[in-house]
Amino acid sequence: MKKKALSIVIAAILGLSLLLSACASAPEPTEVVVVEPTDVPEPTDVPEPTEVPELPKIVIWADETRSPIIEEVAALYAEVLGIEVEVVQLGFGDIRDQIKVAGPAGEGPDIFIGAHDWLGELVANGLVAEVNLGAKADSFFGPGVDAFTYDGVLYGMPYASENIAFFCNPDLLEEYSVARPETWDDVTAMSETIITASGGEVAGWTIQSNDPYHMLPLVSAYGGYIFGWTDAGYDAQDVGLDSEGGIAAANWLADMSTAGYVEAGVDYDVMHTLFEQGQVACIGTGPWALSRIRESGVAYEISAYPAGDATNGRPFLGVQGFMVSAFSENQLLAQTLLQEVVATDEFMQAFFDIDPRPSAWMPVREATADLDLAAFASAGSAGMPMPAIPEMSAVWSAAGNAEELIISGELGGEEAFMDAAEQIRTAIAEGN
Amino acid sequence: MSSQTPIIPAEENKKSAGLTSRRRWGMALRYLVALVAILFALFPVIWIISASLNPTGSLAGQKLIPDNASFANYKSLLNDPIHPYKTWLLNSLKISTITSLLGVISIVLSAYSFSRFRFKGRRQLMLALLLIQVFPTLLMFVAIFYLFQQLGQYIPGMGLNEHAPLVLAYLGTQMGIQIWLMKGFFDSIPRDIDESALVDGATHWQIFWKLIFPLARPMIVIVALLVFIASYQEFVLASVLLKDKAMYTLMVGLYLFVSEEFSKNWGIFAAGGLMGALPIVVLYQALQDQIIGGLTAGAVKG
Amino acid sequence: MMVDTKKSRGSKGPLAALSKGIGRYILILLGLAILDALGIWLLYLLIRDGAWPVATPIAVILILINVLNLSPKLFPIRWQIPAGAIVILIIIFPMVYTIYSAFTNYSDGHILSKQQAINRLAQDTYLPEGSQTYNWTAFRTEEGVFSLWLVDQGGEDYLVTLDTFQDAEPGEGIIGPADENGVPESLEGYQRLARLEVIKYLPELDGIQFGIYPDQVQIVDLDYAAPLVQRYSYDPELDTIIDEKSGIVYYANEDEGYYTSLEDQNLIPGYMVWVGVHNFERLFQSPAFRGPFLRIFAWTIAFAVLSVLTTFAVGLLVAIAFNDPDLKGRKLIRSLLLIPYTIPGIIGVLIWKGMLNPHLGLIPLTLERMIGWAPEFYNNPFWAKIGILLINLWLGYPYMMLISSGALQAIPDDIYDAAAVDGASGWQKFWNITLPLLLVSVGPLLIASFVFNFNNFSVIYPFLEGKPPMANTPTPAGHTDILISYTYRIAFEGGGGSDYAYAAAITIVIFFIVAVLTLIQYQYTRQWEEVSENV
Repeated sequence: MKKKALSIVIAAILGLSLLLSACASAPEPTEVVVVEPTDVPEPTDVPEPTEVPELPKIVIWADETRSPIIEEVAALYAEVLGIEVEVVQLGFGDIRDQIKVAGPAGEGPDIFIGAHDWLGELVANGLVAEVNLGAKADSFFGPGVDAFTYDGVLYGMPYASENIAFFCNPDLLEEYSVARPETWDDVTAMSETIITASGGEVAGWTIQSNDPYHMLPLVSAYGGYIFGWTDAGYDAQDVGLDSEGGIAAANWLADMSTAGYVEAGVDYDVMHTLFEQGQVACIGTGPWALSRIRESGVAYEISAYPAGDATNGRPFLGVQGFMVSAFSENQLLAQTLLQEVVATDEFMQAFFDIDPRPSAWMPVREATADLDLAAFASAGSAGMPMPAIPEMSAVWSAAGNAEELIISGELGGEEAFMDAAEQIRTAIAEGN
Repeated sequence: MSSQTPIIPAEENKKSAGLTSRRRWGMALRYLVALVAILFALFPVIWIISASLNPTGSLAGQKLIPDNASFANYKSLLNDPIHPYKTWLLNSLKISTITSLLGVISIVLSAYSFSRFRFKGRRQLMLALLLIQVFPTLLMFVAIFYLFQQLGQYIPGMGLNEHAPLVLAYLGTQMGIQIWLMKGFFDSIPRDIDESALVDGATHWQIFWKLIFPLARPMIVIVALLVFIASYQEFVLASVLLKDKAMYTLMVGLYLFVSEEFSKNWGIFAAGGLMGALPIVVLYQALQDQIIGGLTAGAVKG
Repeated sequence: MMVDTKKSRGSKGPLAALSKGIGRYILILLGLAILDALGIWLLYLLIRDGAWPVATPIAVILILINVLNLSPKLFPIRWQIPAGAIVILIIIFPMVYTIYSAFTNYSDGHILSKQQAINRLAQDTYLPEGSQTYNWTAFRTEEGVFSLWLVDQGGEDYLVTLDTFQDAEPGEGIIGPADENGVPESLEGYQRLARLEVIKYLPELDGIQFGIYPDQVQIVDLDYAAPLVQRYSYDPELDTIIDEKSGIVYYANEDEGYYTSLEDQNLIPGYMVWVGVHNFERLFQSPAFRGPFLRIFAWTIAFAVLSVLTTFAVGLLVAIAFNDPDLKGRKLIRSLLLIPYTIPGIIGVLIWKGMLNPHLGLIPLTLERMIGWAPEFYNNPFWAKIGILLINLWLGYPYMMLISSGALQAIPDDIYDAAAVDGASGWQKFWNITLPLLLVSVGPLLIASFVFNFNNFSVIYPFLEGKPPMANTPTPAGHTDILISYTYRIAFEGGGGSDYAYAAAITIVIFFIVAVLTLIQYQYTRQWEEVSENV
């Protein structure tokens, strides 16, 4: 219909005229967030000095425990240094997930907090920049620095290195006249004594039913391992769950299950509640649990893990630190802040005070008067850094399920661990 | 079936005759059902309250009244300088209310069109709307992040760390299911009403506004409530789009307390969640009057 | 029943109608013109900056708004504009994005675009063997020009600017006398910057090469400057990257998204490339399909169906029971019954999980005390399933209660009266009147609830993460796993980190499965719509 055509034309003309008038006074294009710069600088190029904003700004992503300290320090220093610092609070795990999306989009932080085992992912995705400890390198805990080194390059400044250790309740041990177990066989004997004597009310030892992280000290005590360690780092082709040592550990656990000495259906909360209420004599846990254990008033003693055929149980080392985003436009400034502000006694001490974990900064680590943390440190002296390689993601469900199947009695030790090792190998092969 | 004859609600008949014993049994039965249902509904809630009174922050406590029970969690949450709980609560209320109001408008318009008009492609469009809900929303947050990151550069208020994008996103996720719900409700209003009004020369807009809308009011209120609750409880999109603590919604803020692997403070989370649930319950209590009524009020006006 | 728009125009005089029509018409045109102007401007900005994925849905919406408002025949669809625009932007766009991702290799190691990967590699630097490092002090003029005083490891002093590199001594020319460290206290025209003062200028100094070839330095940190060299240089013509340190050349590998050397070494990070149907091939060859796929699929359907049935039954029961206005306190009762729906879902699931805990949970403990036995909710596959259904019932019945009570209002009382006159019993009234009429409006929602629970990851996962575990499976699987939790595990816990593209492919396949199921149910419920049209 003519009317229809006419109306379309009128709308278009009106639209265009409005547009033209708007274009005449169009503002300069706004600063576009650089997602894809068109140029790659030549080696001899001098980059154009960028428009420096009023105050250089640094954005830091931290979790809710640590961001208050960072904010406080930032406020102190920002004035003095003439820069602006913004601290964004996220859940610890969310930092890793969101930086993958926000970083490349230009919305990410300059500095962020994280765990060393994220490096596999972060490096593979080009998200982190090399970090330089400068003159202060020697003041850091060696294994902590090693943990943040991936493929020979240092990507983070560690602030805490932690591991789990063996906790026992001396009051309970005394009550049932047993000594603190030093080998896993001792644990079996102790469990028998206590369970029989208490009529099943109190147990000797318990562990989370589906948790490879807490199970490792048991596995490593018999010589088992997750991934083989070489000079170049962890070797994903060498899965150690079904090695001789691994199977020996699995069989020990299966025996405990058959005898009824280990319970199924235990999670983190349950394990701690049992310990805090005096219903189990020994568990394994980390420094993060110290405050709740202390508050509950239960008596406790921290020691290294019991030994198996091979060695004392070796726990995983988890190292946390500061990293610099590769998408930061102020990497030198970020790096410098880490060296000048973070790598100091005051800062590291404040960090320690707000959440006591064995510090990776030697002056604070050595000065720790806290005997418990000293005990953790010594229990972890033989610890292995948690594998940061991407293939680690295939381990959790497989190994955890194996543990649960053994504890519930559905599978024997050898079978469960062999299945798990196969599952891990399949996943790794399939994923590459 | 014409419903032009005035109706005497059935209840009135019985009332004038006094409560029969059969009716009393019925009442007693209903109270019994109420008791059982309320027990089932509230028993876990009592445990949540118990967790909120537990200063250790654990969920595995066995005692109904935990050792050292106190309101510490509540006090700490309300007075926490680092975690602006009240701001979060207000943010959530604001976003949910706006989403609900805007949602009702778009949903009602769309559902009315599906219910009252017959146009080519109507069935297909409805089916498409149903199938859209089927698509799992795993990678949605990446796309939404990108969308508002771009839009925010040209449209003020529509960028990351703003509330308007959240409102839009929530509206989007609610459309499919709520339009279906609303349409179903509209369908149950007899079309004779429309027809007779048309014969009298009313426009579609008049029919909608003066006739259908009042009759559909209970359904509209329910849809508004459902959209409100869904927006209030949403977490994933809010946590991706919001970065500034002052802009957080309730769920995002509360999650900060339980996000660290080994130091989750469920006590505070429970306290915050319970306090946050109150506005919804109060809202529902207040709106219940609006939900009763409709056709049973009798008047099917000509 | 076709609704003719012209007929409804009213029966006033034709002239009056015409003027009213024209006035309205002009208003619509004006509105469209403004909207078009703004819209076109926005599209222009988006396309100029390369954001055409965002521009496309917006363009579609704009076109639709124009067409729908200008064509009188499309009047009924006009009512769809607000909802339609929102759905296109918020639902269709991410859907298309997800589908697109499934055909790429978007995963850990390939989340960057090719250009971003090149840029990232360009950032890496190294110090050539035998290079000097220098201590430095910065000087700055008022206009912002910098000069550095360098001291090398041998103690030699130098003064450098952006393009000069000269031997220097304190006390010479413009250089002031040395302080106790041998660094000049002043430089004519420049202000000396103390260590902390320099920090705010670091963004300006970052990456800048001072001096002139072959003597150049960059600032490395507050203590050192050194002649850092870019390690990876990119040749755009050949599309290769050369490692200056080792001399190895890397070629772009578009099949896998890496720069690869002749010895098959990949440069990290890789980038995202199109891989066609590769992810789908992987899925259908995946060990997961050899495993308990059918078992998990069957449980997923059972879980969804049972969830819908139980929540609807309870919700409806409760709605009917408290529909009676004479019942005292019913407002309060209904408000109390809504509460499970108002509490954050996650804490609801976790509290129930705690209550079902075999050691500390109230329910097993009480049962053991009463009857000496309690189900193993965590370990026994059957009871774990009962447990999750129970939780889902608690979480979901209030929703069913709400919509049922709404739908009940729509059933006019006179139908019941007529039935009573015909001698119908309460049960007959329910079964033959209430239920069918209810299902007309509520039917599609039951389907939607089925769909929701089919993919209800957020209830299954917090409860037991799909466990108790199944033994002897090629990939980890649990008895309460539903299809989506089972398959996503392959994507996120496979050997390569998180594989989003793979997950997207899985998403699409699941979508097809559920869509088929939904279509079947939809056809079945269509007959109910006809019922209402005949009432």
